[in-house]
Amino acid sequence: MRAVRLLLGKDVRLLRRAPALAVALIVYPLVVALLVGLVVRYAGERPRVALVAPEGLPSVLVVGTQSFDLQRLFDQATEVKLVQMPAAKADAELASGQVLAVLTVPKGFTSELRGLKKSPKLILRTTRGGLSTRVVEKLRAFVYSTNLDLQKAYIQANLSAVDLLLRGGSGLIGRTQFNLLGIRRARVELAQLKRSPDPAVARRAAELDTFMGQLNGAVGQVGAFLQATANPIQLVHVSQGGRSWILSAQVQAYALALALAFVAVLLGAGAIVAEREENVLGRLVGGLVGFGRLVAEKIVFVTLVAAGLGLLLALAFGLIVTVGHVSGGQPWQRLPLLAAGLLLAAAAFGAFGVVVGALAREAGTATLFAFLVALPLTLVSLVPPGTAPVAHWIGAAFPFGHAVHAFTAALYDVHPAGPFLRECVWLAGLVLAYGLVARAAARRLL
Amino acid sequence: MLEPTDLAVEAGEVVALGGPNGAGKSTLLSILAGALRPSGGSVAAGTAETRVGWMPQRPALYGRLTPRENLELFARLAGLADPQAAVARALAEVGLAVEERRAAALSVGNQQRLNLAIGLLGEPSVLLLDEPTASLDARQRRRLWELVARARAAGGGVLFATHSVDEARRVADRLLVLEEGKLVYEGAPAEYAEEQA
Repeated sequence: MRAVRLLLGKDVRLLRRAPALAVALIVYPLVVALLVGLVVRYAGERPRVALVAPEGLPSVLVVGTQSFDLQRLFDQATEVKLVQMPAAKADAELASGQVLAVLTVPKGFTSELRGLKKSPKLILRTTRGGLSTRVVEKLRAFVYSTNLDLQKAYIQANLSAVDLLLRGGSGLIGRTQFNLLGIRRARVELAQLKRSPDPAVARRAAELDTFMGQLNGAVGQVGAFLQATANPIQLVHVSQGGRSWILSAQVQAYALALALAFVAVLLGAGAIVAEREENVLGRLVGGLVGFGRLVAEKIVFVTLVAAGLGLLLALAFGLIVTVGHVSGGQPWQRLPLLAAGLLLAAAAFGAFGVVVGALAREAGTATLFAFLVALPLTLVSLVPPGTAPVAHWIGAAFPFGHAVHAFTAALYDVHPAGPFLRECVWLAGLVLAYGLVARAAARRLL
Repeated sequence: MLEPTDLAVEAGEVVALGGPNGAGKSTLLSILAGALRPSGGSVAAGTAETRVGWMPQRPALYGRLTPRENLELFARLAGLADPQAAVARALAEVGLAVEERRAAALSVGNQQRLNLAIGLLGEPSVLLLDEPTASLDARQRRRLWELVARARAAGGGVLFATHSVDEARRVADRLLVLEEGKLVYEGAPAEYAEEQA
């Protein structure tokens, strides 16, 4: 333990004497936090979408008996920011990326909407960029919420027709006016016919009245059926007043894991190779420090530096979230749990880095090797379970996915203990496994 | 690759290890120092109190630490009872002035002296020196051989690698010559020098 402590002191001193590296380690989390902050802010913004309506849009659209203020509907769209513009300008802005999509209202849209006969279509054009999926999702949400409003109007219009069928009176289908007797008035007249002195007429009238009674009951239920078939499943939103799951949560967990992955792997690889480059490895293992303790010291060193950096990053990120009033806020009370996760994740990444360094043997090769190995393994760790089992298991053997899940659980799970502990056990297992491999591989450095 | 070789360095004996580049001299010294593990055979110290000091061919020190910091670190790692005193003694032995400059900023010769000082920290009874005079000036070489002579007089054993037969003849009691990992000569340095002449 004394040897580990002495070497740790030496490594910290050497780190302090490498100003470029020390500054990079301090600046790095701040830059990452700033970038993440920008991403989070962007995530909260509405994508800008061009609205092209060659026929123009009526300021008030009457559907059935209800009227809609279309301009207000578009202005108040919470999902996207719709900007009305001519088609040519929309095309140009889509090409230059000033708008992320173009939503075209084709000719005949409003008349089809008013006609209540078939569903009119909106045409959405996006680029093939990475943000197109997000825009499509946002516009789907917008169309869904608009459909809900229109649906109510359609149902109300249909219910008026049903009411006309029940009560009778004058109505309008398209532009055709008509008069309807109505079921109830028909039954009144049938009641008179039932009292007819002609038994055959009275019997026939009684049969028709029975049918009309059944029809009255059935048509009376149409309103409820319409509501049920229009919304087979309704989503009822009940706000509990707790923490909402926000994009910033995921971004923060990924940013922490990514920062730790690259810093700890590179630092771990560099730290063990540095002993070889200084030519002191022979002296150390020649009776002063065994390979086991040397590897343990490197892991502890990287753990302290990388976890400290991670904590700095988390603090910076939390400040940005707090100052920027990002929805959901920063769970400061979870910081100790996050710190524990950072320590374990940093140790796992560090142990992996020591393995990489021991195998690469030279500083230049180790740096390149660490980067080349860490990047694909990080990406593989993002493969969700069930999609590609082999990739998932390869990813599981790298700390990245476990770190992301541990940070997510620490920061945002309502009951973090279970998932956090499970990932911590994984990370501890990886520290042990990589530590043992590093100890064996370190002999290659001599 | 070293051929099976039996080698002993007696107390009060100075042994030179000669041979061309790549003969296995540094590998043999590294094995004796415990830095490398032999694939077969064993290394045994004379008694439990035998302490081995090693000076590798290339300076083995931390370039971003000062000489004193280097010495203190290795003294503490070796578990010496009084690291400060050991550092002062080792510095005096090699005649290196205490400098606050980092070791990397020292001249190659002074780095070698620091390298030797680290090897001397534990007052070793067996000294393993790998081409110790390679970067030293004439004065420092003389100082080094005086140190070797003191070690011999104190009953210590010294094994040093060298390319110079003349150096071996002047300093060593016995010469071992390795070629391609194989011991090809063991005897008096003077006789070997005559053979070579």
